[in-house]
Amino acid sequence: MIGRDGVAGLACLAAALTLLAASRGLPQPALVPIGPAFYPRILFGALAALSLGLVVADLLRRERPAPPPAHYRLVVLTFAIFAAYVALLPVLGFRLATFLFVAGLQAVLEPPRGRRWWLVLGVALAATAIAYLVFERYLSVLLPRGRLTGF
Amino acid sequence: MFGALWGSLGEVLQLQYLFPLAVGTLAGLVGGALPGVTITMTIIIVLPFTFGMDPLAGLAAMVGVYVGGESGGLVTASLLGIPGTPSAVATTFDGFPMARRGEPGRAVWLGTWASFIGGVLGAVFLVAATVPLARFALQFGPWEYFSLFVFALSMVAGLTEQSLLKGFLSGAIGLVITVIGTDPIMAVPRFTFGTEFLQSGFQFLPVLIGIFAFAQIMSDLEKMSAGERAARVETPSLAVSHPAVIWEIVSRPFLLVWSTLIGLLIGVLPAIGGSAANVMAYDQAKKFSRHPERFGTGIPEGIIASEASNNANVAGSLVTIMAFGIPGDAVTAVMLGAMIIHGIQPGPLFMTQQPRVAYGIFAAYLLAHPVMMVLQWLLSRVYLRIVRVPKSILVPNILVLCVIGAYALNNVMENVYALLLFGVLGYLLVKFGFPLAPLILGVILGDQIEVNLVRSLMTDADPWLFLTRPISGSMLALSALSVVLALWQHRRQYRRGAPVEAPDADF
Repeated sequence: MIGRDGVAGLACLAAALTLLAASRGLPQPALVPIGPAFYPRILFGALAALSLGLVVADLLRRERPAPPPAHYRLVVLTFAIFAAYVALLPVLGFRLATFLFVAGLQAVLEPPRGRRWWLVLGVALAATAIAYLVFERYLSVLLPRGRLTGF
Repeated sequence: MFGALWGSLGEVLQLQYLFPLAVGTLAGLVGGALPGVTITMTIIIVLPFTFGMDPLAGLAAMVGVYVGGESGGLVTASLLGIPGTPSAVATTFDGFPMARRGEPGRAVWLGTWASFIGGVLGAVFLVAATVPLARFALQFGPWEYFSLFVFALSMVAGLTEQSLLKGFLSGAIGLVITVIGTDPIMAVPRFTFGTEFLQSGFQFLPVLIGIFAFAQIMSDLEKMSAGERAARVETPSLAVSHPAVIWEIVSRPFLLVWSTLIGLLIGVLPAIGGSAANVMAYDQAKKFSRHPERFGTGIPEGIIASEASNNANVAGSLVTIMAFGIPGDAVTAVMLGAMIIHGIQPGPLFMTQQPRVAYGIFAAYLLAHPVMMVLQWLLSRVYLRIVRVPKSILVPNILVLCVIGAYALNNVMENVYALLLFGVLGYLLVKFGFPLAPLILGVILGDQIEVNLVRSLMTDADPWLFLTRPISGSMLALSALSVVLALWQHRRQYRRGAPVEAPDADF
């Protein structure tokens, strides 16, 4: 049976071989001996060898420690909400997207009830306003504008 | 040398530099004290604020975070028994028992004064060693640089506590990330698979922020899902007789100097930082002690060793980045990114080309220590209350600052997409038991390794030169030695029947 390391090794091996194949399309300059494919090929070769080593080491391993119990609910939700935030940033603009993100993620991480909703919305509003004022106004760091809102 | 430092001290004492330094130090103290927020995370949070600043002001803020962070960790370590940062792990061993015995003030101030003294001793080394080391590095040709980078990478990969293979694989993945995008010789797009997104490659700051921030935050969220609750925080009085505490430290000069030296040495070595220094110094203090059995019961030696070493470690890391351009750990990696944004290239020429910034960093490091003492004295009980801020409020705000940090680099969304991409990758790597330090070092050194390899082979096609040039050959021999040593150590551990698995990401 293949274990966690074996899976990781196979994934790295697949990546190394794909990249090695892609390096065949790179041009070889006529005047200089070393082209753009020279160093990557050495690297991918090393990556493939190390990955293969990891797979073999995993197959040879007699006992594997049981994986610790996993609690991925909040991790998956946070990644999903963050991905939505990143997608919405150029559409809604920094201020609107950030307000929604900070409020949404707070609500998911610790579901509010009753008056705690005001805290959630207050924190989101304060975070957005402070970030905007400090970065755009004070430090002259530009933040994304929304395609849809122009805001 | 010390004349230039004197001038820089006067410059950094001006409000425009002292203010960011003090704010950075406070941020470091708070971030260091917050369990689950490491110094790396704090410096990532502070990073976007430095974009709009004068380079020296930005770097002063970062040095403040670094020094403050190393000292902030000791408050939670002593009072709650939870290390606020990995660099305060060993402080919990004796700090917490001492505080529980009814001497919280003694525990916290022993640590703080030891940090201060260790840090100031470290500063002497920083100022004295950087220039000669940079001068030595000026003799380097592409062969030496290539070998130095290979040595740095192999040592970091070898030092990982997890599997050696995974350490090297992680470093290789870091290097692979840097070959994506336009190649440095002919400017040909490589491995972009026809997408515009990959055309310009990945900048290392979004990669670094994504990998470190997400790996840390998501590991915390797992614990939250599992129902782990934050520790209850009490804020006891920290009143203590300072002369007595200082005497307790300086009456143990050997312990103090030895711990400082360990911190410096670990700091100078690339990409391992305070998290290793404090544990190693504690271990050494125990070995040299006449009463090792009393370690862990709340004796001052344990606290002094841990805290003197982790602040001295900052000085060591700063030496490496300023003399060789190689980050001593993840925190200096972020500082390296910040320097590059401001058009400053750290390396052997840094001291001669940018003396104002270089001596400004020395001055900021020196001044951060008294600033840290004052803030600790005024605010330690106040900022300890911030530890109560729930994760549900902290996490979204940290992520927003990560997004600003990545976006504001060049005002393009591509960097934010890279942040998300590497956030997922970093978390997956942690879950699969890969160490992250070699990967980050690979990403930082990748371009330089390629450029120096190609440059040396184009100058002279003879590959034996890497071995026959004395400095280059010695570095390669050292990297081979570090691999052999790591193999031997892992084998020994394996024979003892203790497979080493790091349960958490440790930065």
